[in-house]
Amino acid sequence: MKKKLIYKIFLLGTLLFGGALCAQTVTGTVSDTNGVLPGVNVVVKGSTSGTATDFDGKYTIENVKSNAVLVFSYLGYITKEIPVNGLRVVDAVLAEDSQSLDEIVLVGYSTMKKSTLTGALSVVDVEDLNKAKTSNVAQALQGKVAGVRVASSSGAPGGNIEVTIRGVGTIGNNNPLYVVDGVPSLDISFLNQSDIKSMSVLKDAAAASIYGARASAGVVLITTKSGVKGKTVLEANYWYGVQNATNLPKMLNANQYMDVTEKAWNNTYTGTNPYTADKGRSDFGNTNWLGELFEPGKSQNLQLTASGGSENVQYLMSLGYYGEDGIVVYDNDKFQRINFRTNINAQLTDKFKIGSNLQLSYSIQDKVPSTGESLIRFALLRAPVIPVYKDVTDPTYSVEDPFTDMPFFTPTGYDQALNRTMYEMVGNPIAQAYFSDDQTTRFQTFGNIFGEYKLMEDLTFRSNVGIDLSFYHDKTFNENYGDDDGGGSAIDQGLGRRNRPNNLGELRGEAFTFTFSNTLNYLKTFNERHDFSAMIGTELISNYESFIGASRSRFAYTVDEFRYLDYGGSTLDVRNSGTATEYGLFSVFGSTSYVLDGKYMLTANLRADASSRFSENNRWGYFPSISAGWKLSDEEFLSETDWLSNLKLRASWGQVGNQNIDDYSYLELLRAGDIPGKERFGNPDLKWETSTQQNIGVDVGLFNNKVAINAEYYVKNTTDILLPVGLPGLHGDLQPTIVNAGEVSNKGFEFSANYRNSDNEFKYSLNANFTTLKNNVEKLHPNVPSIVTDKYRTVVGEALNSYYGYKMIGIYQNQSEIDSYLTGGTGSTQPGDIKFKDINGDGKITPDFDREFIGSSIPDLIYGFAFNAEYKKFDFSVFFQGVSGVEKYNDGKKIVDYDTRPFNYTTAILGSWDGEGSTNSMPRVAFNDNGSSNVSSIFVEDASYLRLQNIELGYTLNGIKGFQDMRLYVSGRNIFTSTNYTGLDPEVSGLIDNGTYPSSSTVLFGVNVKF
Amino acid sequence: MKNIFKRSVIAFFLSAALISCTSELDNEPIGLLTEDLVDTELAAVTLEALVNSAYQPLGNTLNGVVPGWRWDLGTVFRNDIVLQDIASNDMNKKWNPDGDQPWMDRVGDFTFTPENQAFNGIWVYDYIGINRLNLGIGFLTDGVTVPNSGMSEARKNQLLSEAYFLRAYYYFDLVNNFGDVPLLSKSPDTFAEALDASVRAPKAEVLAQIATDLATAKGLASNAKYPDPAQRWRVSKGAIIALQAKVALFAKDWPTVLSLITELDGLGHYNLNAEYFNSFDANLEFTDNEVIFAYDHRALETPNVNNGLRFVIGWGFFAPTNDFISAFESNDPRLLYTTNTTAKTSYKIRGSVADNPDFGNKIYIRYADVLLWKAEALLETSNLSGAITIINQIRTRARTSSTADGSIIPIGTLPDRASSTNPTEVKNWLMHERRVELGFESQRFNDLKRWGIAETVLASKGFQSKHNLYPIPQRDIDKSGGSITQNPNY
Repeated sequence: MKKKLIYKIFLLGTLLFGGALCAQTVTGTVSDTNGVLPGVNVVVKGSTSGTATDFDGKYTIENVKSNAVLVFSYLGYITKEIPVNGLRVVDAVLAEDSQSLDEIVLVGYSTMKKSTLTGALSVVDVEDLNKAKTSNVAQALQGKVAGVRVASSSGAPGGNIEVTIRGVGTIGNNNPLYVVDGVPSLDISFLNQSDIKSMSVLKDAAAASIYGARASAGVVLITTKSGVKGKTVLEANYWYGVQNATNLPKMLNANQYMDVTEKAWNNTYTGTNPYTADKGRSDFGNTNWLGELFEPGKSQNLQLTASGGSENVQYLMSLGYYGEDGIVVYDNDKFQRINFRTNINAQLTDKFKIGSNLQLSYSIQDKVPSTGESLIRFALLRAPVIPVYKDVTDPTYSVEDPFTDMPFFTPTGYDQALNRTMYEMVGNPIAQAYFSDDQTTRFQTFGNIFGEYKLMEDLTFRSNVGIDLSFYHDKTFNENYGDDDGGGSAIDQGLGRRNRPNNLGELRGEAFTFTFSNTLNYLKTFNERHDFSAMIGTELISNYESFIGASRSRFAYTVDEFRYLDYGGSTLDVRNSGTATEYGLFSVFGSTSYVLDGKYMLTANLRADASSRFSENNRWGYFPSISAGWKLSDEEFLSETDWLSNLKLRASWGQVGNQNIDDYSYLELLRAGDIPGKERFGNPDLKWETSTQQNIGVDVGLFNNKVAINAEYYVKNTTDILLPVGLPGLHGDLQPTIVNAGEVSNKGFEFSANYRNSDNEFKYSLNANFTTLKNNVEKLHPNVPSIVTDKYRTVVGEALNSYYGYKMIGIYQNQSEIDSYLTGGTGSTQPGDIKFKDINGDGKITPDFDREFIGSSIPDLIYGFAFNAEYKKFDFSVFFQGVSGVEKYNDGKKIVDYDTRPFNYTTAILGSWDGEGSTNSMPRVAFNDNGSSNVSSIFVEDASYLRLQNIELGYTLNGIKGFQDMRLYVSGRNIFTSTNYTGLDPEVSGLIDNGTYPSSSTVLFGVNVKF
Repeated sequence: MKNIFKRSVIAFFLSAALISCTSELDNEPIGLLTEDLVDTELAAVTLEALVNSAYQPLGNTLNGVVPGWRWDLGTVFRNDIVLQDIASNDMNKKWNPDGDQPWMDRVGDFTFTPENQAFNGIWVYDYIGINRLNLGIGFLTDGVTVPNSGMSEARKNQLLSEAYFLRAYYYFDLVNNFGDVPLLSKSPDTFAEALDASVRAPKAEVLAQIATDLATAKGLASNAKYPDPAQRWRVSKGAIIALQAKVALFAKDWPTVLSLITELDGLGHYNLNAEYFNSFDANLEFTDNEVIFAYDHRALETPNVNNGLRFVIGWGFFAPTNDFISAFESNDPRLLYTTNTTAKTSYKIRGSVADNPDFGNKIYIRYADVLLWKAEALLETSNLSGAITIINQIRTRARTSSTADGSIIPIGTLPDRASSTNPTEVKNWLMHERRVELGFESQRFNDLKRWGIAETVLASKGFQSKHNLYPIPQRDIDKSGGSITQNPNY
């Protein structure tokens, strides 16, 4: 058997590469009804020789046998084969493919013709995708597909991207399932965008139910590029970009800061104002901390691809490099990734095909603290009167640590303790950026090997083995710096207050996911009218993840060469850790579809999943779906309407699940160790979360499909939502228990339209899509009538996690206003404080009666629109995206402009209340509470935005010797944002905006070369 | 032939998948004990750790109970000092008033709301302790776990005695702060049971539980001053009796107070130290005569159990009010130990005059306090001379102590109180003596409340009668879905 196979391959090779008899040179011109067609692929059938037509539609191929057949192919046109028949000139006229809609689309474990799809599935235009020059493929989806919302968690290099498909169905993880070449993954940041051939988003249950228990948040199917038979293609792409921080707030300068703090003091205390006395001090600086912190960042990307193949064996190899140096000063915020990928497909016999994709990716991310106690926050808060560097005459100055730290550490003639109270002691962000050393490296091997065997003409067996193996390593060295504030353990006294004592933490982990799936596919057309297909399969997924970590402190030497565990202190603060998790999923699934006359379609899916995350009683979950389609445009009664090229109605119903919770959540477990205790109350009845989705859709093509419209309406009801419910604090330090706590509905309308005009030399297209979304909590567990956190809560009749607090209705202008409003007691309220709505009118502002819902973080509308044009050798594209009807809790604003400590402020503070009638929107600035310590609507801001996400201008050169063609382009990303949101970035994901690494705008130059 | 080949290939793949499935789905948890393991193999070390970790909420280690600088939850350190010393007229938040941690100011001027994190902080600390204890007591008394673990009966009794005492201590703190509170005397079995238990029990019921727990604890305790000589921080019989006396004192059950203090004296372990500061001196801890119950802060341990309040002092917190300073008679050496207005620090809190160690203990019950309870009980039972004798005993010790700055105490300082037949006069002497002797030891606010004078003494600070009970933390009311109710008038 094996011998025979090798012989066959050898034989084939000989045939293919064997000498050519009667070779001749063939030339010709390729055109369509409008004129010549440049860039058409011309290949000698069954060989590797071929070319593409030049700008005048002309081609030349040497050594063509007289009995050869030429194959002319061009995207959007019907491929044409013309025998040479000994001719020297072979011209071809290509016809536009009116059926170009009819691509083959991957729908899970099998493929379907796009024209017969019945579920809601969006295919992403990869060409379009590549215009977004980002490190993360998920980011490139932003604004491209109706129903998909993409938000980044921070603007930092290598930052996470959050993708939500058709709204938020659950409180926990709403990330979709990604399936890359048949291998599932929860994250696709390791992928190189240019390696992707196609991407489809499965939105409704009919499309996604074949992925059963993991599909309730939607599924994104990704197929990577593979070699095609024919001519060898070599491609090189490179771009270089420069980023700048955008949307930074304007902070007070030193003089303004002194005026404002002076006023805050006067608004709070009586007596001699220390700020008045300090004005104009000689040791003051005037530092723009944000300006000092940011500098232009740079990014670059290089991609080399080689592909090709013979009739039976095709290959593709690619090498990619992406590097980004972020916008924070010093080189401690970076992201670099190297990708290496090979793909081989081989037709071993008529019936037996094998293939593999293997992807190696290595990334290094250098991080600066960008959330929480972050340098961004420090830059916002640190008083502008403090200089960046100490004076060299300062006795605490050192070359190793020249940065200022505590306010005026060695003042002359000033009270140190008072100084520290007057000029808040947040850290020096420049020092923090300088001393940061926090690196994560990740090595990932991702790929699959498949074999496909044709058991009968219509029956194919396919087996796919996928692996996802990653090793990661986090290493953080916290170098000691800053001024000695007298604190620290006895043995660390005298050290600076930051990272005292110095310490190193390392964590190494590995995660292995194994996927083994087997399917049997049957596909047959009976009587040329009945297209029937069926598929059954099994799948096993098993995951094991483990890590070990250690930390040491008090390193005697802190140079890079000593930043390893062995060189830290060995007696104190020696910590080691390590543990593991594992889970398994086993599934049986099937799918069948029937199409009559290409007009009437019916598809049904069923998947049964068993997961280790549930107790044996609830281990199996069943996920059915059914969908139907009717292609009206093929009916007799519409056959006369020439303008209508496509009209299809679709409807579907189905169920998908979610099992994305911690392992062992159903069990009641006890923690051992130094602080033992109940980990959480178990829930033996815990079961799948189920989303039942109904979808109706219509696809319309007009004027020979120049206009394509797609509209969908869906209702997605998620029942038994998996909800971590925390008990009141009186039950101690427990992890929340996961309960099947209720029902959430998402309803929405999705619309996308596309207009394409290639009739003239000026070719252009317009795309637009939008999505509406209405999220509502329908039902909650009787034991859990509301799910409450400090700033947001979930109750029936509101959107999930809606903001909840007091509603600001103005500013108290004078004492009599306070006295007449707060008849139940004025407390510490004074004029200039925030006036909250007294809902029950009892003259008191009380948490039980006067709080209400004040906003939701779920947008009502998500949209994107793009314009693409080509004229002669120029091409141009512009792409906008945005969301509206969305709020965000701007906690960063609270700490900048509304804190009671003498932090720096934005210039907005200059409009704060300053006596009766001055303003009714911003309270007095003060060092005591002006009402802003409450969770209230003053921090809930409209986070709608419209962003010019991408704009690109390209120029294509052909006919240069040695190149097939070359395209040069200049491109801008995140160029302009229109928003009323006052935080750093309205797009940033998460319910509470604590301030983050800001977003940046990028200008980049690139070149794509095809050899 | 061909068919057989095909079939066998498919059969192979499908069966391989099926076989592996069964084993892949039965994953035992890694690093966590299942109920099976707990029932059969709970290790003695875990039992010990359960009780030991229940001491932690009594400590002031920064973030030692709830990690991560949760100023917003009021859990960075134990809030006794805010709820007792700042709330009373003894202490200001900081030496220089500023906008840092404004919630502490709100406690100080009685403009707080139920959302103030001071209340959440103490509530969470006490209940974390209680829940660890309920779990520990459950295992120690189920009759199975202890034999399985190989723990000795004596050790079990010692741990149980500690556990019952600590549970009583936390509940006593809760009823004093909040009145009626949810009473959990065992670990709930299920989530639903825990939710159902989220209701307030009448204060009397909680006090009954405290009495039962302390009686049980006493029955199990040995008579030794340090039941475990290697770990002197453990609860002793003396501590249990003293707490019983304190509970009786708060209930104004004067005869019981007196009989319990007699019982305590019968152990023969406690007396006043010669030097006032010896109880607080970090270098003398667990070697002195006076301390009956303290939390042992220790340096350089993993996990960290050091004294975090000394850092907080370093940030300028915990300044005396003028009223507090002027309450001291001239040259009373106790003032400088309690607060040094030049160095802006408190030697008592940090545990040293000379340096700044990180292992200064938090003293909860010391004999001077007990003596003053006795004085109060004598006074209230009309034994004025007995009360005066004790007050003078305290004053004598104070004036014969050395001073923090080495200065000589002038003759005539802190003279003995004369004999008196006026109960009001003696009561005033007693109240004065408690304030200066126990300054900054988180006793004051409770004293003012139980003497019924908080409304008068703190009137200028805004105290109203509703403030005799602090509000139940809004966070837990919200999380209970309203089954936990609020105290009146909040």
